[in-house]
Amino acid sequence: MKRLAAVVALLGIAAASACSSSGNTNKSASGGGSAVYTTIDGTKPGIDPNGPANPFAPKGNSFSGYNAMKLAWAKNHLTDPNQFYPGIAESWEVAPDNSSITIRLQPDNKWSDGKPVTAEDVKLSLAIAYTQGSTAFALQPGAAGAAAEVTVVDDKTVKVTQDMSNPSQTFARGVLDTAVVPAHVWSSVLPADIWDKIKAARGTDAAAEAARTEITELGKKIIAHNPGKDVSAGPYVLERVNPSAALLKKNPNFYNAANVAPDAVQLLNYTGNEQVWNYLKAGKLDSAPFVAVPADTMAQIKQTPGNVVVKGYSPVAVGLAFNQSKKPYDNVHVRRGLAYLINRAEVQKIASPEGGLPAVTTTGIHQKAAAEWLGAELNNLEPYAHDVAKAEAEFKAAGLTKKDGKWTLPDGKPWKVSMHAPAGFSDWLAAQENIKSQLIDNGVDAEVVTTADFPLYQTEMAEGKYDTGFWLIALGPAPYNIFQRIYGSANGWTNIAGKVTHNAPGKNGNWMGSAEEIEVEGLGKVNPGELTAKLNSVGAEEQKDLMLQLAKVANADLPVVQMWDYVNTQFQNHSRFTGFPGDDHDLLRQPHGVWIQLGMIKKKA
Amino acid sequence: MTSVILETSSASLRRNFWRGVWRVMKRKPSRMAGVLILIGFAFMATAGPLFYPDNLPRDVNNTYGPMTWEHPFGTDGQGKDVLAQVVTGSQYVLLSALVTALITVVLGTAIGLFSGFKRGRWDTVLMRLTDMKLTIPGLPLLLVLSTVWKFGSAVEMGLVLGLLNWGTVARAVRSQTLSLRERGFIEAARGLGLSTGHIIGKELLPTMAPYIAMNMLISVTGAVYAQVGLFFLGVLPYEADNWGVMLNLAVFGGGAMTTAAALPYLLAPLLAILLLTLGIVLVVDAMDEIFNPRLREE
Repeated sequence: MKRLAAVVALLGIAAASACSSSGNTNKSASGGGSAVYTTIDGTKPGIDPNGPANPFAPKGNSFSGYNAMKLAWAKNHLTDPNQFYPGIAESWEVAPDNSSITIRLQPDNKWSDGKPVTAEDVKLSLAIAYTQGSTAFALQPGAAGAAAEVTVVDDKTVKVTQDMSNPSQTFARGVLDTAVVPAHVWSSVLPADIWDKIKAARGTDAAAEAARTEITELGKKIIAHNPGKDVSAGPYVLERVNPSAALLKKNPNFYNAANVAPDAVQLLNYTGNEQVWNYLKAGKLDSAPFVAVPADTMAQIKQTPGNVVVKGYSPVAVGLAFNQSKKPYDNVHVRRGLAYLINRAEVQKIASPEGGLPAVTTTGIHQKAAAEWLGAELNNLEPYAHDVAKAEAEFKAAGLTKKDGKWTLPDGKPWKVSMHAPAGFSDWLAAQENIKSQLIDNGVDAEVVTTADFPLYQTEMAEGKYDTGFWLIALGPAPYNIFQRIYGSANGWTNIAGKVTHNAPGKNGNWMGSAEEIEVEGLGKVNPGELTAKLNSVGAEEQKDLMLQLAKVANADLPVVQMWDYVNTQFQNHSRFTGFPGDDHDLLRQPHGVWIQLGMIKKKA
Repeated sequence: MTSVILETSSASLRRNFWRGVWRVMKRKPSRMAGVLILIGFAFMATAGPLFYPDNLPRDVNNTYGPMTWEHPFGTDGQGKDVLAQVVTGSQYVLLSALVTALITVVLGTAIGLFSGFKRGRWDTVLMRLTDMKLTIPGLPLLLVLSTVWKFGSAVEMGLVLGLLNWGTVARAVRSQTLSLRERGFIEAARGLGLSTGHIIGKELLPTMAPYIAMNMLISVTGAVYAQVGLFFLGVLPYEADNWGVMLNLAVFGGGAMTTAAALPYLLAPLLAILLLTLGIVLVVDAMDEIFNPRLREE
């Protein structure tokens, strides 16, 4: 009887705690007028109090936009990847033939220890970029858009030239998207002959290979380096860190310090979305980047006084990708049938009600960017609106047969659509569960299979182990990057030194297995991998034409069925500060420290 | 003639036993409730899924819906009835728990009995093996195993959990055997020249049966906790109507710890686990008294 009493008591406690958790909501925030700006760093879940002030360390306490600075902040414009907000660089000039970029630094910028920010700091940072394998500073011979020479023109000017053997339109972006660290603190980590080593590494002989290995090893040393006390050229400098938050105080030497309103920034620790939801519900955060939020929680967050939800463009979409080496996905009619069968609006409503828009069709491009790139042509593409009759016609065209209400393969064997997603990606899982239900409702057997984590998911996907799986596409704004996701290495095309080659399905990471040449109505036979590679080097007009061709190929051939395009849903609390960027502002795609350093955020009077 | 007397006495023994059982059950209504709960769960796992279609109906306009007569535990993030998922999900959970319990008990008892009765070299070898097994931490091993083994079926899951859990039962059965083998009735059986098989099967095993049966029931709860925990952590393949996956989706997808909307979705599988444990605890309480006359409060 005592055991029973204990169980009943436990039940009581569970019920009481459940009631208290549901009742303890909507505590409004107070403390308006505080000069401490509170937020989270969306890229750094789990603050490590022992992490170094090192922008290259994944667990470091250098926070981008606050005490870690880049040469400039890429705007992620809808179509132009080369638009930026100033950072360490005040201005930049790209040569008309895209062969070089000349960067002028902010004239009055100083590190937090009082030393001026110079061209030498930038040069050292670019050398470090080579050790980290950044796009413009790739060591692989023939890599697209790689830098060739870095020259210090004067104390405040640096010139970087592009290796024109395989140029890229995104060269300027690759250069400006570089973190800058103080040479007087970091120079000891790199050997004095680092530039000789970099030069040697860009060759093709055995010595180059040895140099590359050495530089890669240096990269690990850089990541592990602890520079000691934080020396920042950003608006803030690290004051102290504890397991619950990092506190950054204003850097009076920052070039725009006069317009930096918050006296300090507090970055709260979080390890999961639930903590962020609780911060938002309590009105603790002055702003927070995108975080997936269930509808009911979203309603509660909106009720908190001062909280505002803003939405903007997010250059990424998700699609259901097929492994065409596996039957029946090699048949375009099967892929089209599935595209007709899946109600994308329903999928998005279930999976990402606040953070997505159902894909208008499959183009491989985010619908907002597609409207810019394709214009009216977007409406001429097949929308694949939900239509069971059309789906059945496509399945029949593929030779599938329906027996006892279930679709089977042409040889009569059962067909089960096996969809894969990494465990923990709750929106992807919810979407696939919904797709599974939709398919089963219409006689297509389906299952959802999870993989332990994202890296394993990527590895197994590349090994061709999955029939279908979710795949991020439309990674804008650079047009090459957009189509590289579906007509790049994952689909067999490699682009080395401007030379495009195609690997057979199942080889060298080609798990999508599209045909090398695809017949498209109105275009004839096209090689989409070659068209994609061209996007790197052609001018703006030709780019537009290529984007249209590739969108038509993706729309007709469906290597993926585009499910939803992400929406950058963010949170702001206007109780203590004003001047926040509103809906669709391109600054929503920046770390929030950039808003502050540009002088937008003001204390509320 | 002798056989007739033996049969009559064994039949009357059986009658007495069941009369005793009924008396014990009647004395505390909670024990009856325990049995009813276990029968309910057995029915739920075997016949429950037959009441629902394979693909549960969904209402996308009623996700994380409230508790209503139509949906006593609300709906999940897909707009599917939560109660239906608890019922259909019980099959995997209970089947694997049963397999775990069987393997735990059969392996643990066999090794414990053999080791305790034989003693000597066999005992040393088997007990060192058992000690080694006991030092392996179960959860971390399961986490590692889950990366290579997908635990596709309930039987596979039960098999793995069973193979990880027999150690404690083996140890306990061995110590009981060591104590019993020195008792008079075993001495007498040995003196009569009865075979080892007879002594173990007919003399030792029945004496320990209640203890083993209780261990089996307790293993069921252990197995339910272990597998639900693994599914909750998300290390096992996703199966929407598994209780552990339901807990995972309620907390990480629905925000059940933050808002009330997904709370019924979280509580339903929790309540099922709690009820199952309660049923088992109550039945074990009754068994304790049935098999141990000294505990009878008459």
